[in-house]
Amino acid sequence: MSINQTPTDQTRIHTPAPRRRTRLDAQFDRIRAREEAGLARSGSGSRAVRKFLNNRLAVFGLVVFSIILLASILAPILTPYDPNRINLRAILQPPSWEHWFGTDRTGRDLFARVLYGGRISILVGLGSALLAAIIGVLIGVYSGYVGGWLDALAMRVSEIVMAFPQIILVLLLVSILGQSLVNLMLIFTLTGWAGIYRMARARMLSIREEEYVLALRSFGLSRPLIAYKHMLPNALGPIMVNITLSTAAFILQEAGLSFLGLGVPLSIPTWGNILNVAQDIRVLQTAWWIWLPVGAVISLFVLSVNFIGDGLRDATDPSQQG
Amino acid sequence: MLTYIIRRILILIPMAFAICFLVYLGLELTPGDAVSHMINPDSAGSMDPAQLEALRQSLGLGQPFHVRFWAWFTNLMQGNFGYSMSGGVPIASIIATRLPATLELAAVALVFSTLVGSLLGVLSALKRGSKTDSALTVVGMLGVSIPEFFFGLVAIWVFALNLGWFPVGGRSMPGYVTFWDRLPHLVMPAMVLSIMLTAGVMRYARSSMLDALSRDFIKTARSKGLPEWRVNLLHGFRVALTPVVVLIGFRLPVLIGGSVIIEQVFQWPGIGNEFISAVRSQDYPVVMTIALLSVMAVLLASLIVDVLTAVIDPRVRLGD
Repeated sequence: MSINQTPTDQTRIHTPAPRRRTRLDAQFDRIRAREEAGLARSGSGSRAVRKFLNNRLAVFGLVVFSIILLASILAPILTPYDPNRINLRAILQPPSWEHWFGTDRTGRDLFARVLYGGRISILVGLGSALLAAIIGVLIGVYSGYVGGWLDALAMRVSEIVMAFPQIILVLLLVSILGQSLVNLMLIFTLTGWAGIYRMARARMLSIREEEYVLALRSFGLSRPLIAYKHMLPNALGPIMVNITLSTAAFILQEAGLSFLGLGVPLSIPTWGNILNVAQDIRVLQTAWWIWLPVGAVISLFVLSVNFIGDGLRDATDPSQQG
Repeated sequence: MLTYIIRRILILIPMAFAICFLVYLGLELTPGDAVSHMINPDSAGSMDPAQLEALRQSLGLGQPFHVRFWAWFTNLMQGNFGYSMSGGVPIASIIATRLPATLELAAVALVFSTLVGSLLGVLSALKRGSKTDSALTVVGMLGVSIPEFFFGLVAIWVFALNLGWFPVGGRSMPGYVTFWDRLPHLVMPAMVLSIMLTAGVMRYARSSMLDALSRDFIKTARSKGLPEWRVNLLHGFRVALTPVVVLIGFRLPVLIGGSVIIEQVFQWPGIGNEFISAVRSQDYPVVMTIALLSVMAVLLASLIVDVLTAVIDPRVRLGD
């Protein structure tokens, strides 16, 4: 029952509409204009992609995500500094033309550290999310379709993994396995596969009832072939959403752990490791440029990934739209 | 109803047992045993190996794995969690001294986030599609995207270091007796901890309210000619809020995870703080016990949520 209160544009003055125009009206007009021009039914691009591109927040997310990702990849071109090069003649300098984000306590250029740190942080987030998704989907798709002992076992194990608050389990494993980049990704994968497994399994349970699956079975196709080749593509939407959201979660966790000094070893620059020094109250008070920009970059990046995930969900799953 | 509760508990018991077993396995696999915890590493070198062995035997460490596990497990059931590696303090007493601080922080954050989150969520559902709604959606997204510890740092920088409104960290000062003395210490950590929770509650309350508003009884109420606020508040809000409140239990893992980091940022002397220092010093018995207790808390909370849901909605217990 809510009528939008925003006076959108000048068209209201020319045509005395009975109600105010909303953004949806403008969108509808655009669609109608396209239809009249005969463009609407040109089957270029899938419906999901177009829906995604119509979502302003998702597009914003995609743009920010791409900018930060590209800047990290192109770090050697964008900055002449080595992120680990200590320069004791230039310690704790505030941002200047020479050092865009200033320098830290050992004179390392923070802009370079943020760019190179992004490489590792994004690698940890995206890499662990992909690994967790591969494991979860491999098990979930097959066991969701076939069931049996593998399904029962995986279900019990995932219940146990998910009973732990994630950060507690991660820290527990860190204390046992020790700190390293590979260990951290391994630990994230171990703690993260359960959620995506559950989701893939649930999707398969509902897809299993569809008639085309019955048809494929009556053709005599093997069960792995039906599960992975014919059913998996229909579950891809939620899987993609899940990968995006767990990327965001892993980046946040890496930052949190490294901030505590328990994530990636301090010798490797990551976003969390740059923030680590902010535990020192003097740094926090006097050298805002060390921790404020990199915190903003992490937040912006995670925000963009979350927007992309939301956009993907809206584009692929009509029932989730609010 | 009773059979439903009993069935749920019967499902939980083997799982809790399996988790205890895994935790014990972790303890066994990590370096060090009860003897090395008891003896100062500097003096251990000068001790007679035969003597150490005798001590191990007397403590039952030479017995087979399942016997040791059973001894550990029965001790656990009696509230005897073993001893910390650093200082040999009973873990039960560490937890007893640390728990109140954590509970205080968690309770304030939980109450605050549930109130604010459901109000904002309902507001956003009532104004669906408006500027307020999209603004709240973006704010909610910001709430889950900004790292909690970064929120904490900014809060300390602005409100403690620059404005001086609140203390930088800690829970108390010498001479503080009542809760009101300590209140300034509590404000920042509790608010920062609330942020992520509030964002989650808001999202959930919004979709729950939208769901309630689309039901038939809302149409009935409206067609009876009730004023809009009565329709929304008395008929919609009440129905929408029940699941939101019940789901408090499901937010426990987020709350525990959040408090681990927030307690560290604000030097809040709670369980999370103890957990981090135990992880740092590789004090495995403490790490494992706290992890075990947090899992048990989560399992218990999910049991309570299930039972409450079944009490409210009869379809649940008849359904499966």
